[in-house]
Amino acid sequence: MELYLITILLFLPLLGAASMWGHSLAFLHRVPLERIREHYRWIALVIAGLEFLISLILLFKFDSSKSEPQFQLNIPWIEGLGAHFHLGVDGISLWLVVLTTFLLPIAILVTWRVNNNVRAYFTTLFLLETGIIGVFVSLDMLLFYLFWEMSIIPMGFLIGVWGAEREHRVHATIKFLIFTVVGSLFMLVGIIGVFYYSGATTFDLLEITQTLQSNRAAGRELIPANLAVWFWLAFALGFFVKIPIWPLHAWLPETYVQAPTSGSIMMAGVMAKMGAYGLMRFNLPLFPDVSMKFAPWVMALAVIGLIYGALLAIVQTDLKRLVAYSSLSHLGYVILGIFAFTSQSMQGALFQMINHGISTGALFVCVGLITQRRQTREISEFGGMATQMPGYSTAFMIIAFSSLGLPLLNGFIGEILILVGTFSSSVPYSKVFAVIGAAGVVLASIYILWKMQRVLFGAVTKEENKELEDLTRRERVALIPMVALAIVLGVTPMVFLRASDRTVNQVRTAVVQQSSK
Amino acid sequence: MQFSNLNLDYFSILPEIITALAGVILMLIDAFSKKAGRKLSPMFSLFALVATLASIIALWPRASYTASFAGMIVNDHLRLYFALVIVACGIIATLLASQFLDDEALPPGEFYALMMFATTGMLMMASAGDLVMVFLGLETSSIATYVMAGYRRTDLRANESSLKYFLLGSFSAAFLLYGMALTYGATGTTNIEGIRQILIAGKVIYPQMLLVGVAMMLVGFGFKIATAPFHLWTPDVYEGAPTLVTAILATGPKVAVFAAFLRVFAEGLGTPTAPAVGAQIYDNWINALAVMAAIGMTFGNIVALAQRNMKRMLAYSSIAHGGYTLIGFLTTEYAPVGFYMLTYALMSLGAFAIVQMLAREGDAKTEISDYAGIGFEVPNLSFPLAIFMLSMAGIPPMAGFMGKFYVFKSAWVSSPNLRWLVIVAIINSIISVYYYLYPIVVMFFRPPVSDFTKPRLSPMSQLALAITIIGTLYFGLFPNGALKVLQQKTPGAQQVAVQK
Repeated sequence: MELYLITILLFLPLLGAASMWGHSLAFLHRVPLERIREHYRWIALVIAGLEFLISLILLFKFDSSKSEPQFQLNIPWIEGLGAHFHLGVDGISLWLVVLTTFLLPIAILVTWRVNNNVRAYFTTLFLLETGIIGVFVSLDMLLFYLFWEMSIIPMGFLIGVWGAEREHRVHATIKFLIFTVVGSLFMLVGIIGVFYYSGATTFDLLEITQTLQSNRAAGRELIPANLAVWFWLAFALGFFVKIPIWPLHAWLPETYVQAPTSGSIMMAGVMAKMGAYGLMRFNLPLFPDVSMKFAPWVMALAVIGLIYGALLAIVQTDLKRLVAYSSLSHLGYVILGIFAFTSQSMQGALFQMINHGISTGALFVCVGLITQRRQTREISEFGGMATQMPGYSTAFMIIAFSSLGLPLLNGFIGEILILVGTFSSSVPYSKVFAVIGAAGVVLASIYILWKMQRVLFGAVTKEENKELEDLTRRERVALIPMVALAIVLGVTPMVFLRASDRTVNQVRTAVVQQSSK
Repeated sequence: MQFSNLNLDYFSILPEIITALAGVILMLIDAFSKKAGRKLSPMFSLFALVATLASIIALWPRASYTASFAGMIVNDHLRLYFALVIVACGIIATLLASQFLDDEALPPGEFYALMMFATTGMLMMASAGDLVMVFLGLETSSIATYVMAGYRRTDLRANESSLKYFLLGSFSAAFLLYGMALTYGATGTTNIEGIRQILIAGKVIYPQMLLVGVAMMLVGFGFKIATAPFHLWTPDVYEGAPTLVTAILATGPKVAVFAAFLRVFAEGLGTPTAPAVGAQIYDNWINALAVMAAIGMTFGNIVALAQRNMKRMLAYSSIAHGGYTLIGFLTTEYAPVGFYMLTYALMSLGAFAIVQMLAREGDAKTEISDYAGIGFEVPNLSFPLAIFMLSMAGIPPMAGFMGKFYVFKSAWVSSPNLRWLVIVAIINSIISVYYYLYPIVVMFFRPPVSDFTKPRLSPMSQLALAITIIGTLYFGLFPNGALKVLQQKTPGAQQVAVQK
């Protein structure tokens, strides 16, 4: 059972999708379409919830005293190519898997009223979930690539078919698809290159990492230094586009805005982390030297993106666009933390990934909810929501505070860990970056507080806003867990940090020690 | 040629015998009863093709380099594998043909007979051990396909397509034949293995003549596989021919020509260590093909970007795919080519089949803009088309990805000289993503056109579609079986390897 836990996580969503199609075959001719749609929604919710529960088992059975991947399953897949169906979770991927399964039921709940092609909609969401989880649990490079691409296509459909405005969403979809697919093809070059130079006969990531490391310990670099730079860049390009890092973010604002709420949640919540995860899984362990060498540059890009995103967020008049840019800004911290190579900063980066998933996800939920009620995203259309929708406003406020890093909420822990870690880092110029990063926190409080003031407080100026309904029960079910988690993680971060501690430190020491050789 | 050692092994040409006989019988059926023919012909063709498939599988245990019919027929794994793919293409095309012929009210009898003869020619190409045999197979299949391209007699476009195909095809066949003649003059033999032995022994009589001959053969083959700069006929022929015929043209003959191409070049002229002219020829054709591959991919992809007609787009994309396949070819192994051709055939057949179903009578609707908004109207056609497009773009878990990946990996590992080509190919894949996504975007994300009616699908077409989809997904997720078959070494291969 334990052996197949991850496999179950991977295939349950597919089963869920299949069961909807089976259900329609059995009932479509007997039951009115409206009821059938209701059935689909419940099937989707139940399967997504079950998936979350199973991932919790994973969480409880996880042994945090080990740094290597657990629950490993390794069976031959394509012997002719040396690819294996090799799965496992370690301290880094564990939380990202749980985050994915946690966000999907919420995404389903908040888009409960999607009414066109309901079955296809949930199928797309489930395919997306399988793809994302697959990325986090694959320990084989080819398998990783397969899941990576598998997550892109459903997301494209989600935006293109169920997105906001027809004129814009097609453009957004094409942009998103081209950016990410092109990025991942570069990654493919990296995969083939690493495979070839490591002299391995398989695409097994653990094996290749080990071969490279043991050879490095013996003073042999298997990948020629000049090529390693290019392979590093090939991987990095794929991951940077996905996160995205400035200046590869051109697809982000439009895509986030045009995506349906569920798409925004999954994209900002977990798909962005696929990139950061890839950096920690591929770039750092495979090319410690190059990573160390490029660290100041990457940090510089991260800091630029951080400030750039924050500045643009300040001037947005579109609520969703504001959240999109704030998301870009927050992801800058994650990258900053990873490439500072200190224990705190990397832990903080991982923690920030989870935070960002929860708080940005929740922000998109909040934006989605009022957009649904008012059919507009313009900030100027709102005002005084606090009196009309007190429950909603409370949730929104807590989430917004978590996003700007108020102590006792989760955002604070992540940011402080990253900034302290970066400040004490030995990477050149890291102190400068830490200081600029801290300035980003100030900017964040500007755009978040200003936004809240304009949306939630003041007098109700618009006639349409007077009749707005507060959170329904379903929406409360979706929002409360996120708000609760933001508080819990803020108060007791250690529970979380302990589980990932070993793995993160292993990645860190691997880079620091090996690059110093 | 010694007539005392003919080795008349009829079992080894059983597949060709079955298809040739079936072609004759189909013509007879048509001659005696036109009415019954419409129902009977497709069934009989299918039966014959399945029998051919069975005979190929029965030949498998006997795979060896021993040539029969005085060296004319070689029954090794290369032949058997490619024959399998060719017959599979034939089966899928036959399944699709009945609906096409019914919808367009075209006479069925000759069509199936022509297809059988074409298949016979293709099988001969795969099994040829002699240049004469290669040419014979090529012409047999070509003549049948020239006629098929013009099968819609009243349609001017089809006529143009057929004539163009015929003129340019004959022209290139002349090149090929002249090349073969010069090669014969230079080496004194038309037997491919014989040519190899002569190259290795360094006993070429007229080295310069051989160089010219090989260059001419390269042109002839280059034309037939439609790689740049010999591709110019492709878009017009593919666009003008009835879509089903385009599907056949783009798959079976291409697979077969690649088989013969491999036999002549990778085996016969694959002599990097031979003395004098042998090594020189090897270097020359490898370099020429590398350039052809690079131009083919780049040209095909870039021009495909500008296409707004689905058939033309697929034509250019097939030029690009020919380029990718050539990269596998340059490893001089048959496994990458074989696997790529398998995946290519599956996804092309599938894509053209859907284009045909959506095109309606007389191929009226083949512009990509005609597909606007049909995504959720006909999900049974739009989703498969999306799968084939993604597969061609090389996105996992579709077969197209595995095909590309296997080719790229083999090329990268086999020789440092090929790495630049892999890079070019990946850049090309990036370019191609755009135009492969375009039909998907139009189908699913654009508002629907008002005059769209759902096309009828016969059970046979549905079966063909199912085979191509399942194949595309299966070989994308579990290519292991096919790769194992491809990596089988023919008994006796070691001796050949030592000689290399």
